[in-house]
Amino acid sequence: MNWNEFERIFHGCELVGNKIVIQSNLLGVIEFVLKEYPYDMLKEIIATDKGDEGVELTYHLYSVDDEEDLFISITVKDEIESVTGIFKSAEADENEIYDLFGIKFIGNENLKRLYMPEDWEGHPLRKDYKEDDKRLEWNDKQS
Amino acid sequence: MTSSLRLNLGPQHPSTHGVLRLLLELDGEKILSCEPDVGYLHRGMEKMAEKMSYIQYLPLVDRIDYLAGFFYSELLCGVVENALEVELPDKVRAIRVMLLELNRISSHLLWIGAFLMDLGAVSPFFYAFREREKILRYFEKLTGQRMMYNYFVFGGVRKDIEYLEDVEEILSILPEKLDDYEKIITENPIFLMRTRGKGILEAETALNYAITGVNLRASGVDYDYRHNDPLYKGFDFRAVVMDGKDSWTRYKARVLEIKESMNIIHQALVYLKEAGKLEQKLINPLNLKLPEGDYIQEIEAPRGLACCYVKSTGEDKPYRLKWRTGSYYSVNLLRELLKGEYLNDAIAIAGSLDIILPEVDK
Repeated sequence: MNWNEFERIFHGCELVGNKIVIQSNLLGVIEFVLKEYPYDMLKEIIATDKGDEGVELTYHLYSVDDEEDLFISITVKDEIESVTGIFKSAEADENEIYDLFGIKFIGNENLKRLYMPEDWEGHPLRKDYKEDDKRLEWNDKQS
Repeated sequence: MTSSLRLNLGPQHPSTHGVLRLLLELDGEKILSCEPDVGYLHRGMEKMAEKMSYIQYLPLVDRIDYLAGFFYSELLCGVVENALEVELPDKVRAIRVMLLELNRISSHLLWIGAFLMDLGAVSPFFYAFREREKILRYFEKLTGQRMMYNYFVFGGVRKDIEYLEDVEEILSILPEKLDDYEKIITENPIFLMRTRGKGILEAETALNYAITGVNLRASGVDYDYRHNDPLYKGFDFRAVVMDGKDSWTRYKARVLEIKESMNIIHQALVYLKEAGKLEQKLINPLNLKLPEGDYIQEIEAPRGLACCYVKSTGEDKPYRLKWRTGSYYSVNLLRELLKGEYLNDAIAIAGSLDIILPEVDK
Protein backbone atom coordinates (compact mmCIF):
# COMPACT_ATOMS: atom_id res chain seq x y z
CA MET A 1 0.00 0.00 0.00
CA ASN A 2 1.18 3.49 -0.77
CA TRP A 3 1.42 4.71 2.79
CA ASN A 4 2.15 8.36 1.93
CA GLU A 5 -1.00 8.70 -0.11
CA PHE A 6 -2.98 6.88 2.56
CA GLU A 7 -1.70 9.27 5.22
CA ARG A 8 -2.59 12.27 3.06
CA ILE A 9 -6.22 11.16 2.58
CA PHE A 10 -6.86 9.98 6.13
CA HIS A 11 -5.29 12.47 8.56
CA GLY A 12 -3.96 11.37 11.90
CA CYS A 13 -3.55 7.68 11.15
CA GLU A 14 -0.49 5.65 12.05
CA LEU A 15 0.93 2.29 11.09
CA VAL A 16 2.15 -0.05 13.86
CA GLY A 17 3.37 -3.38 12.44
CA ASN A 18 0.44 -4.61 10.36
CA LYS A 19 -2.06 -2.54 12.34
CA ILE A 20 -3.45 0.77 11.07
CA VAL A 21 -4.70 3.02 13.86
CA ILE A 22 -7.27 5.51 12.58
CA GLN A 23 -9.27 8.29 14.21
CA SER A 24 -12.45 8.41 12.11
CA ASN A 25 -14.07 7.46 8.79
CA LEU A 26 -13.85 3.68 9.25
CA LEU A 27 -15.94 2.83 6.17
CA GLY A 28 -13.85 5.15 3.98
CA VAL A 29 -10.62 3.50 5.14
CA ILE A 30 -11.92 -0.05 4.62
CA GLU A 31 -13.24 0.78 1.16
CA PHE A 32 -9.92 2.39 0.23
CA VAL A 33 -7.94 -0.62 1.47
CA LEU A 34 -10.23 -3.06 -0.35
CA LYS A 35 -9.83 -1.16 -3.61
CA GLU A 36 -6.05 -1.57 -3.45
CA TYR A 37 -5.80 -5.05 -1.94
CA PRO A 38 -7.98 -8.17 -2.14
CA TYR A 39 -8.82 -8.63 1.53
CA ASP A 40 -11.76 -10.98 1.21
CA MET A 41 -12.50 -11.99 4.77
CA LEU A 42 -13.24 -10.15 8.00
CA LYS A 43 -12.05 -12.78 10.44
CA GLU A 44 -13.29 -11.02 13.55
CA ILE A 45 -13.86 -7.71 15.29
CA ILE A 46 -12.07 -7.44 18.61
CA ALA A 47 -13.44 -4.98 21.16
CA THR A 48 -11.41 -3.80 24.14
CA ASP A 49 -12.64 -1.39 26.78
CA LYS A 50 -9.98 1.25 27.35
CA GLY A 51 -11.73 3.05 30.20
CA ASP A 52 -12.18 6.81 29.67
CA GLU A 53 -10.85 6.73 26.10
CA GLY A 54 -13.74 4.55 24.98
CA VAL A 55 -13.87 1.15 23.35
CA GLU A 56 -11.20 0.13 20.88
CA LEU A 57 -12.52 -1.87 17.92
CA THR A 58 -9.95 -3.84 15.92
CA TYR A 59 -11.04 -5.19 12.54
CA HIS A 60 -9.07 -8.30 11.60
CA LEU A 61 -8.97 -8.58 7.80
CA TYR A 62 -7.48 -11.47 5.88
CA SER A 63 -6.58 -12.09 2.27
CA VAL A 64 -6.70 -15.74 1.21
CA ASP A 65 -4.62 -15.22 -1.93
CA ASP A 66 -1.83 -13.19 -0.31
CA GLU A 67 -2.05 -15.03 3.04
CA GLU A 68 -1.86 -11.70 4.80
CA ASP A 69 -3.52 -10.30 7.90
CA LEU A 70 -4.33 -6.64 8.39
CA PHE A 71 -5.67 -4.97 11.51
CA ILE A 72 -7.56 -1.69 11.42
CA SER A 73 -8.15 -0.17 14.81
CA ILE A 74 -10.44 2.68 15.86
CA THR A 75 -11.50 3.94 19.29
CA VAL A 76 -15.16 4.89 19.70
CA LYS A 77 -17.31 6.28 22.49
CA ASP A 78 -20.74 4.75 21.95
CA GLU A 79 -21.59 4.40 18.29
CA ILE A 80 -20.00 3.74 14.90
CA GLU A 81 -21.08 2.92 11.36
CA SER A 82 -21.73 -0.75 10.64
CA VAL A 83 -19.62 -2.66 8.10
CA THR A 84 -22.31 -5.28 7.38
CA GLY A 85 -22.74 -3.74 3.92
CA ILE A 86 -19.24 -4.97 3.02
CA PHE A 87 -18.77 -8.06 5.21
CA LYS A 88 -21.83 -10.07 6.19
CA SER A 89 -19.90 -11.84 8.95
CA ALA A 90 -19.85 -8.53 10.84
CA GLU A 91 -23.53 -9.13 11.71
CA ALA A 92 -22.38 -11.74 14.21
CA ASP A 93 -19.49 -9.71 15.63
CA GLU A 94 -21.44 -6.47 15.90
CA ASN A 95 -24.30 -8.15 17.70
CA GLU A 96 -21.90 -9.65 20.24
CA ILE A 97 -20.16 -6.31 20.81
CA TYR A 98 -23.54 -4.56 21.16
CA ASP A 99 -24.53 -7.07 23.83
CA LEU A 100 -21.29 -7.17 25.82
CA PHE A 101 -19.95 -3.62 25.31
CA GLY A 102 -23.04 -1.54 24.49
CA ILE A 103 -21.67 -0.07 21.25
CA LYS A 104 -24.38 0.79 18.71
CA PHE A 105 -23.69 0.06 15.05
CA ILE A 106 -25.53 2.48 12.78
CA GLY A 107 -27.02 0.64 9.83
CA ASN A 108 -27.23 -2.79 11.45
CA GLU A 109 -30.94 -3.47 11.94
CA ASN A 110 -30.59 -6.81 13.71
CA LEU A 111 -28.94 -5.70 16.95
CA LYS A 112 -30.44 -7.45 19.96
CA ARG A 113 -29.43 -8.90 23.29
CA LEU A 114 -27.53 -12.03 22.33
CA TYR A 115 -26.21 -13.79 25.43
CA MET A 116 -27.73 -11.66 28.18
CA PRO A 117 -31.48 -11.62 28.97
CA GLU A 118 -33.58 -8.97 27.21
CA ASP A 119 -34.11 -6.93 30.37
CA TRP A 120 -30.50 -7.06 31.61
CA GLU A 121 -28.98 -3.73 32.55
CA GLY A 122 -25.40 -2.90 31.69
CA HIS A 123 -22.82 -4.55 29.48
CA PRO A 124 -20.68 -7.14 31.27
CA LEU A 125 -17.36 -6.72 29.48
CA ARG A 126 -17.19 -2.97 30.21
CA LYS A 127 -14.58 -2.27 32.84
CA ASP A 128 -16.99 -0.10 34.85
CA TYR A 129 -19.65 -2.82 34.93
CA LYS A 130 -20.92 -3.65 38.42
CA GLU A 131 -22.32 -7.09 39.10
CA ASP A 132 -25.31 -5.97 41.14
CA ASP A 133 -28.22 -7.52 39.27
CA LYS A 134 -30.51 -9.13 41.84
CA ARG A 135 -30.55 -12.34 39.80
CA LEU A 136 -26.88 -12.80 40.70
CA GLU A 137 -27.61 -13.11 44.45
CA TRP A 138 -27.92 -16.83 43.91
CA ASN A 139 -24.16 -16.95 43.30
CA ASP A 140 -23.35 -15.34 46.66
CA LYS A 141 -25.42 -17.89 48.55
CA GLN A 142 -23.20 -20.63 47.16
CA SER A 143 -19.98 -19.29 48.67
CA MET B 1 -53.14 -14.30 -0.05
CA THR B 2 -51.83 -16.64 2.58
CA SER B 3 -50.05 -15.57 5.71
CA SER B 4 -46.70 -17.02 6.68
CA LEU B 5 -46.20 -19.32 9.65
CA ARG B 6 -43.61 -18.77 12.33
CA LEU B 7 -42.11 -22.01 13.58
CA ASN B 8 -39.88 -22.47 16.57
CA LEU B 9 -37.16 -25.12 16.15
CA GLY B 10 -35.25 -26.02 19.29
CA PRO B 11 -33.61 -25.38 21.71
CA GLN B 12 -34.27 -28.93 22.93
CA HIS B 13 -34.55 -30.54 19.51
CA PRO B 14 -32.18 -33.55 19.35
CA SER B 15 -30.81 -32.60 15.96
CA THR B 16 -29.67 -29.13 16.96
CA HIS B 17 -26.54 -30.60 18.60
CA GLY B 18 -27.01 -28.74 21.81
CA VAL B 19 -29.13 -25.73 22.49
CA LEU B 20 -29.59 -23.87 19.23
CA ARG B 21 -32.96 -22.25 18.66
CA LEU B 22 -34.01 -21.34 15.14
CA LEU B 23 -37.01 -19.13 14.47
CA LEU B 24 -38.24 -20.02 11.02
CA GLU B 25 -40.75 -18.15 8.94
CA LEU B 26 -42.50 -20.57 6.60
CA ASP B 27 -44.66 -20.32 3.53
CA GLY B 28 -46.06 -23.81 3.31
CA GLU B 29 -42.88 -25.87 3.62
CA LYS B 30 -40.61 -23.24 2.18
CA ILE B 31 -38.39 -21.24 4.53
CA LEU B 32 -38.72 -17.49 4.01
CA SER B 33 -36.32 -16.43 6.74
CA CYS B 34 -34.36 -17.90 9.60
CA GLU B 35 -33.35 -16.18 12.80
CA PRO B 36 -30.90 -18.08 15.02
CA ASP B 37 -31.20 -17.50 18.75
CA VAL B 38 -28.17 -18.45 20.81
CA GLY B 39 -26.97 -17.91 24.36
CA TYR B 40 -28.49 -20.83 26.24
CA LEU B 41 -25.01 -22.09 27.12
CA HIS B 42 -23.26 -18.78 27.74
CA ARG B 43 -20.72 -19.18 30.52
CA GLY B 44 -18.89 -15.87 30.23
CA MET B 45 -15.54 -17.38 29.26
CA GLU B 46 -14.14 -14.00 28.28
CA LYS B 47 -15.26 -12.26 31.46
CA MET B 48 -13.90 -15.08 33.61
CA ALA B 49 -10.47 -14.73 31.99
CA GLU B 50 -10.18 -11.17 33.28
CA LYS B 51 -10.50 -12.38 36.86
CA MET B 52 -8.12 -15.34 36.72
CA SER B 53 -4.42 -15.89 36.34
CA TYR B 54 -3.34 -17.78 33.23
CA ILE B 55 -2.81 -21.11 34.96
CA GLN B 56 -6.20 -20.86 36.68
CA TYR B 57 -7.83 -20.27 33.32
CA LEU B 58 -6.08 -23.13 31.50
CA PRO B 59 -8.34 -26.01 32.68
CA LEU B 60 -11.42 -24.01 31.64
CA VAL B 61 -10.59 -23.56 27.97
CA ASP B 62 -11.09 -27.25 27.11
CA ARG B 63 -14.78 -26.58 27.71
CA ILE B 64 -15.07 -24.08 24.86
CA ASP B 65 -15.39 -27.02 22.50
CA TYR B 66 -15.77 -30.21 24.47
CA LEU B 67 -15.33 -32.38 21.41
CA ALA B 68 -11.97 -30.84 20.53
CA GLY B 69 -10.52 -29.66 23.82
CA PHE B 70 -6.87 -29.99 22.83
CA PHE B 71 -7.19 -27.22 20.26
CA TYR B 72 -8.20 -24.58 22.75
CA SER B 73 -5.54 -25.62 25.28
CA GLU B 74 -3.01 -25.32 22.48
CA LEU B 75 -4.25 -21.81 21.66
CA LEU B 76 -3.90 -20.48 25.20
CA CYS B 77 -0.51 -22.18 25.65
CA GLY B 78 0.54 -20.79 22.28
CA VAL B 79 -0.34 -17.23 23.28
CA VAL B 80 1.70 -17.47 26.48
CA GLU B 81 4.66 -19.15 24.75
CA ASN B 82 4.69 -16.57 21.97
CA ALA B 83 4.49 -13.68 24.40
CA LEU B 84 7.42 -14.99 26.41
CA GLU B 85 9.25 -16.04 23.21
CA VAL B 86 9.66 -19.64 24.25
CA GLU B 87 10.60 -22.09 21.53
CA LEU B 88 9.11 -25.57 21.85
CA PRO B 89 11.37 -28.62 21.56
CA ASP B 90 10.67 -30.84 18.53
CA LYS B 91 9.40 -33.67 20.66
CA VAL B 92 6.80 -31.47 22.35
CA ARG B 93 5.65 -30.26 18.94
CA ALA B 94 5.32 -33.82 17.68
CA ILE B 95 3.33 -34.86 20.77
CA ARG B 96 1.00 -31.90 20.41
CA VAL B 97 0.46 -32.40 16.68
CA MET B 98 -0.25 -36.09 17.16
CA LEU B 99 -2.82 -35.44 19.89
CA LEU B 100 -4.44 -32.58 17.98
CA GLU B 101 -4.90 -34.72 14.89
CA LEU B 102 -6.25 -37.64 16.92
CA ASN B 103 -8.67 -35.19 18.47
CA ARG B 104 -9.65 -33.94 15.01
CA ILE B 105 -10.41 -37.51 13.93
CA SER B 106 -12.54 -38.18 17.02
CA SER B 107 -14.43 -34.93 16.41
CA HIS B 108 -15.06 -35.70 12.72
CA LEU B 109 -16.14 -39.25 13.58
CA LEU B 110 -18.71 -37.94 16.01
CA TRP B 111 -19.92 -35.53 13.34
CA ILE B 112 -20.35 -38.33 10.79
CA GLY B 113 -22.44 -40.30 13.26
CA ALA B 114 -24.54 -37.35 14.36
CA PHE B 115 -25.07 -36.06 10.81
CA LEU B 116 -26.35 -39.42 9.60
CA MET B 117 -28.55 -39.59 12.68
CA ASP B 118 -30.04 -36.24 11.66
CA LEU B 119 -30.91 -37.75 8.31
CA GLY B 120 -32.60 -40.71 9.98
CA ALA B 121 -29.88 -43.37 9.66
CA VAL B 122 -29.20 -44.79 13.10
CA SER B 123 -26.56 -47.46 12.55
CA PRO B 124 -23.64 -45.24 11.35
CA PHE B 125 -23.90 -43.48 14.71
CA PHE B 126 -22.94 -46.68 16.52
CA TYR B 127 -20.17 -47.51 14.06
CA ALA B 128 -18.63 -44.05 14.37
CA PHE B 129 -18.85 -44.12 18.15
CA ARG B 130 -17.16 -47.53 18.22
CA GLU B 131 -14.05 -46.10 16.54
CA ARG B 132 -14.20 -42.84 18.46
CA GLU B 133 -14.28 -44.80 21.69
CA LYS B 134 -10.83 -46.24 20.89
CA ILE B 135 -9.39 -42.75 20.59
CA LEU B 136 -11.08 -41.58 23.78
CA ARG B 137 -9.78 -44.66 25.63
CA TYR B 138 -6.28 -43.73 24.55
CA PHE B 139 -6.76 -40.13 25.72
CA GLU B 140 -8.04 -41.42 29.04
CA LYS B 141 -5.04 -43.67 29.50
CA LEU B 142 -2.67 -40.83 28.70
CA THR B 143 -4.27 -37.81 30.39
CA GLY B 144 -6.76 -39.31 32.83
CA GLN B 145 -9.69 -37.61 31.11
CA ARG B 146 -11.94 -38.57 28.25
CA MET B 147 -12.85 -35.08 27.12
CA MET B 148 -11.42 -32.26 29.27
CA TYR B 149 -7.77 -33.17 29.00
CA ASN B 150 -5.84 -30.25 30.52
CA TYR B 151 -2.71 -31.97 29.23
CA PHE B 152 -0.86 -29.12 27.50
CA VAL B 153 0.87 -26.71 29.84
CA PHE B 154 2.80 -23.51 29.20
CA GLY B 155 6.06 -24.55 27.56
CA GLY B 156 5.29 -28.22 27.03
CA VAL B 157 3.09 -31.10 28.07
CA ARG B 158 2.21 -32.41 31.49
CA LYS B 159 4.05 -35.72 31.15
CA ASP B 160 5.89 -37.76 28.56
CA ILE B 161 3.93 -39.56 25.85
CA GLU B 162 3.08 -43.20 26.53
CA TYR B 163 1.16 -46.15 25.05
CA LEU B 164 2.20 -45.43 21.46
CA GLU B 165 1.18 -48.96 20.54
CA ASP B 166 -2.45 -47.91 21.11
CA VAL B 167 -2.09 -45.16 18.51
CA GLU B 168 -0.59 -47.70 16.10
CA GLU B 169 -3.58 -49.92 16.66
CA ILE B 170 -5.98 -47.06 15.95
CA LEU B 171 -4.11 -46.27 12.75
CA SER B 172 -4.21 -49.87 11.61
CA ILE B 173 -7.96 -50.25 12.26
CA LEU B 174 -9.27 -46.95 10.92
CA PRO B 175 -8.68 -47.26 7.13
CA GLU B 176 -10.67 -50.46 6.96
CA LYS B 177 -13.50 -49.00 9.04
CA LEU B 178 -13.57 -45.82 6.95
CA ASP B 179 -13.98 -47.96 3.84
CA ASP B 180 -16.91 -49.64 5.55
CA TYR B 181 -18.53 -46.27 6.27
CA GLU B 182 -18.03 -45.18 2.70
CA LYS B 183 -19.63 -48.37 1.45
CA ILE B 184 -22.81 -47.80 3.41
CA ILE B 185 -22.96 -44.00 3.30
CA THR B 186 -21.21 -42.28 0.41
CA GLU B 187 -23.14 -43.76 -2.52
CA ASN B 188 -26.32 -44.56 -0.61
CA PRO B 189 -29.22 -43.29 -2.78
CA ILE B 190 -31.23 -41.92 0.14
CA PHE B 191 -28.18 -40.12 1.49
CA LEU B 192 -27.42 -38.72 -1.96
CA MET B 193 -30.98 -37.45 -2.35
CA ARG B 194 -30.86 -35.69 1.00
CA THR B 195 -27.45 -34.07 0.49
CA ARG B 196 -26.54 -33.74 -3.22
CA GLY B 197 -27.18 -30.21 -4.42
CA LYS B 198 -28.62 -29.18 -1.04
CA GLY B 199 -27.28 -26.24 0.92
CA ILE B 200 -25.12 -24.82 -1.88
CA LEU B 201 -22.49 -22.51 -0.40
CA GLU B 202 -20.69 -20.40 -3.00
CA ALA B 203 -17.08 -19.45 -2.31
CA GLU B 204 -17.81 -15.69 -2.25
CA THR B 205 -20.67 -16.16 0.21
CA ALA B 206 -18.51 -18.33 2.42
CA LEU B 207 -15.70 -15.78 2.51
CA ASN B 208 -18.13 -12.92 3.07
CA TYR B 209 -19.61 -14.75 6.05
CA ALA B 210 -16.09 -15.58 7.36
CA ILE B 211 -16.66 -19.33 7.10
CA THR B 212 -13.44 -21.27 7.60
CA GLY B 213 -12.30 -24.85 7.97
CA VAL B 214 -13.78 -27.79 6.09
CA ASN B 215 -16.91 -25.83 5.11
CA LEU B 216 -14.80 -23.28 3.24
CA ARG B 217 -12.54 -25.87 1.64
CA ALA B 218 -15.58 -27.84 0.42
CA SER B 219 -16.54 -24.68 -1.48
CA GLY B 220 -13.27 -24.72 -3.37
CA VAL B 221 -11.18 -22.19 -1.42
CA ASP B 222 -7.72 -23.43 -0.52
CA TYR B 223 -7.25 -22.06 2.97
CA ASP B 224 -5.84 -24.31 5.66
CA TYR B 225 -4.09 -22.48 8.49
CA ARG B 226 -2.02 -25.57 9.30
CA HIS B 227 0.24 -24.75 6.35
CA ASN B 228 1.24 -21.45 7.98
CA ASP B 229 1.31 -22.80 11.51
CA PRO B 230 4.85 -23.09 12.96
CA LEU B 231 3.55 -25.98 15.08
CA TYR B 232 3.13 -28.12 11.95
CA LYS B 233 6.56 -27.24 10.49
CA GLY B 234 8.26 -30.32 9.06
CA PHE B 235 5.04 -32.27 8.57
CA ASP B 236 4.10 -33.15 5.03
CA PHE B 237 0.39 -33.03 4.23
CA ARG B 238 -2.02 -31.41 1.83
CA ALA B 239 -5.25 -29.54 2.41
CA VAL B 240 -8.45 -31.27 1.28
CA VAL B 241 -10.00 -28.86 -1.22
CA MET B 242 -13.15 -29.92 -3.08
CA ASP B 243 -15.40 -28.05 -5.44
CA GLY B 244 -18.88 -29.47 -4.86
CA LYS B 245 -20.19 -26.74 -2.51
CA ASP B 246 -23.09 -28.87 -1.23
CA SER B 247 -23.79 -30.91 1.92
CA TRP B 248 -22.48 -34.09 0.31
CA THR B 249 -19.12 -32.46 -0.45
CA ARG B 250 -18.81 -31.28 3.13
CA TYR B 251 -19.35 -34.87 4.24
CA LYS B 252 -16.82 -36.25 1.76
CA ALA B 253 -14.24 -33.58 2.64
CA ARG B 254 -14.43 -34.59 6.29
CA VAL B 255 -13.87 -38.24 5.45
CA LEU B 256 -10.85 -37.32 3.34
CA GLU B 257 -9.59 -35.04 6.09
CA ILE B 258 -9.63 -37.96 8.53
CA LYS B 259 -7.34 -39.83 6.12
CA GLU B 260 -5.03 -36.83 5.87
CA SER B 261 -4.92 -36.56 9.68
CA MET B 262 -3.93 -40.23 9.84
CA ASN B 263 -1.05 -39.41 7.53
CA ILE B 264 0.12 -36.64 9.90
CA ILE B 265 -0.24 -38.91 12.94
CA HIS B 266 1.83 -41.54 11.19
CA GLN B 267 4.66 -39.05 10.62
CA ALA B 268 4.53 -37.93 14.26
CA LEU B 269 4.51 -41.55 15.40
CA VAL B 270 7.62 -42.42 13.40
CA TYR B 271 9.43 -39.48 15.00
CA LEU B 272 8.19 -40.17 18.53
CA LYS B 273 9.25 -43.81 18.48
CA GLU B 274 12.84 -42.78 17.72
CA ALA B 275 12.92 -39.73 20.01
CA GLY B 276 14.54 -40.10 23.39
CA LYS B 277 13.31 -39.00 26.78
CA LEU B 278 11.21 -35.85 26.89
CA GLU B 279 13.28 -32.79 27.70
CA GLN B 280 11.28 -29.63 28.13
CA LYS B 281 11.61 -26.36 30.01
CA LEU B 282 8.22 -25.53 31.46
CA ILE B 283 7.27 -21.93 32.18
CA ASN B 284 6.71 -21.39 35.88
CA PRO B 285 2.98 -20.70 36.05
CA LEU B 286 3.12 -19.06 39.47
CA ASN B 287 3.16 -15.29 39.22
CA LEU B 288 3.23 -15.60 35.43
CA LYS B 289 3.05 -12.16 33.84
CA LEU B 290 2.95 -11.47 30.12
CA PRO B 291 4.78 -8.39 28.89
CA GLU B 292 2.58 -5.46 27.92
CA GLY B 293 1.11 -5.78 24.44
CA ASP B 294 -1.38 -7.50 22.14
CA TYR B 295 -0.97 -11.16 21.24
CA ILE B 296 -2.94 -13.16 18.74
CA GLN B 297 -2.72 -16.88 18.05
CA GLU B 298 -4.60 -18.92 15.48
CA ILE B 299 -5.18 -22.61 14.92
CA GLU B 300 -7.10 -24.76 12.45
CA ALA B 301 -9.72 -26.39 14.69
CA PRO B 302 -12.12 -29.07 13.38
CA ARG B 303 -14.92 -26.53 13.06
CA GLY B 304 -12.96 -23.75 11.43
CA LEU B 305 -10.31 -21.27 12.33
CA ALA B 306 -10.01 -20.48 16.03
CA CYS B 307 -8.17 -17.43 17.34
CA CYS B 308 -7.25 -16.29 20.80
CA TYR B 309 -6.51 -12.62 21.35
CA VAL B 310 -4.93 -11.45 24.59
CA LYS B 311 -4.25 -7.89 25.61
CA SER B 312 -1.88 -7.72 28.54
CA THR B 313 -0.97 -4.71 30.63
CA GLY B 314 1.85 -6.55 32.37
CA GLU B 315 -0.39 -7.90 35.14
CA ASP B 316 -0.77 -11.55 36.07
CA LYS B 317 -4.26 -11.54 34.57
CA PRO B 318 -5.20 -10.72 30.97
CA TYR B 319 -6.71 -7.25 30.51
CA ARG B 320 -8.90 -8.60 27.73
CA LEU B 321 -9.14 -12.07 26.21
CA LYS B 322 -11.23 -12.84 23.15
CA TRP B 323 -12.02 -16.09 21.40
CA ARG B 324 -12.87 -16.48 17.76
CA THR B 325 -14.57 -19.77 17.00
CA GLY B 326 -15.67 -21.29 13.70
CA SER B 327 -19.18 -22.35 14.73
CA TYR B 328 -20.19 -18.82 15.68
CA TYR B 329 -19.96 -17.72 12.07
CA SER B 330 -21.59 -20.93 10.77
CA VAL B 331 -24.65 -20.15 12.88
CA ASN B 332 -24.80 -16.67 11.38
CA LEU B 333 -24.59 -18.23 7.91
CA LEU B 334 -27.83 -20.14 8.53
CA ARG B 335 -29.78 -16.90 7.93
CA GLU B 336 -28.56 -16.95 4.33
CA LEU B 337 -28.21 -20.68 3.66
CA LEU B 338 -31.68 -21.76 4.79
CA LYS B 339 -33.51 -19.06 2.83
CA GLY B 340 -35.61 -20.66 0.08
CA GLU B 341 -34.94 -24.24 1.21
CA TYR B 342 -37.60 -26.69 2.40
CA LEU B 343 -38.18 -27.34 6.06
CA ASN B 344 -37.18 -31.00 5.87
CA ASP B 345 -33.81 -29.97 4.41
CA ALA B 346 -33.18 -27.40 7.13
CA ILE B 347 -31.87 -29.96 9.60
CA ALA B 348 -29.71 -31.67 6.99
CA ILE B 349 -28.14 -28.38 5.93
CA ALA B 350 -27.60 -27.06 9.46
CA GLY B 351 -26.12 -30.44 10.41
CA SER B 352 -23.71 -30.42 7.49
CA LEU B 353 -22.04 -27.24 8.79
CA ASP B 354 -20.89 -29.03 11.97
CA ILE B 355 -22.10 -26.49 14.51
CA ILE B 356 -21.37 -27.03 18.18
CA LEU B 357 -23.08 -24.77 20.66
CA PRO B 358 -20.55 -24.34 23.48
CA GLU B 359 -18.26 -22.83 20.85
CA VAL B 360 -20.96 -20.40 19.78
CA ASP B 361 -21.92 -19.29 23.27
CA LYS B 362 -18.44 -19.36 24.83
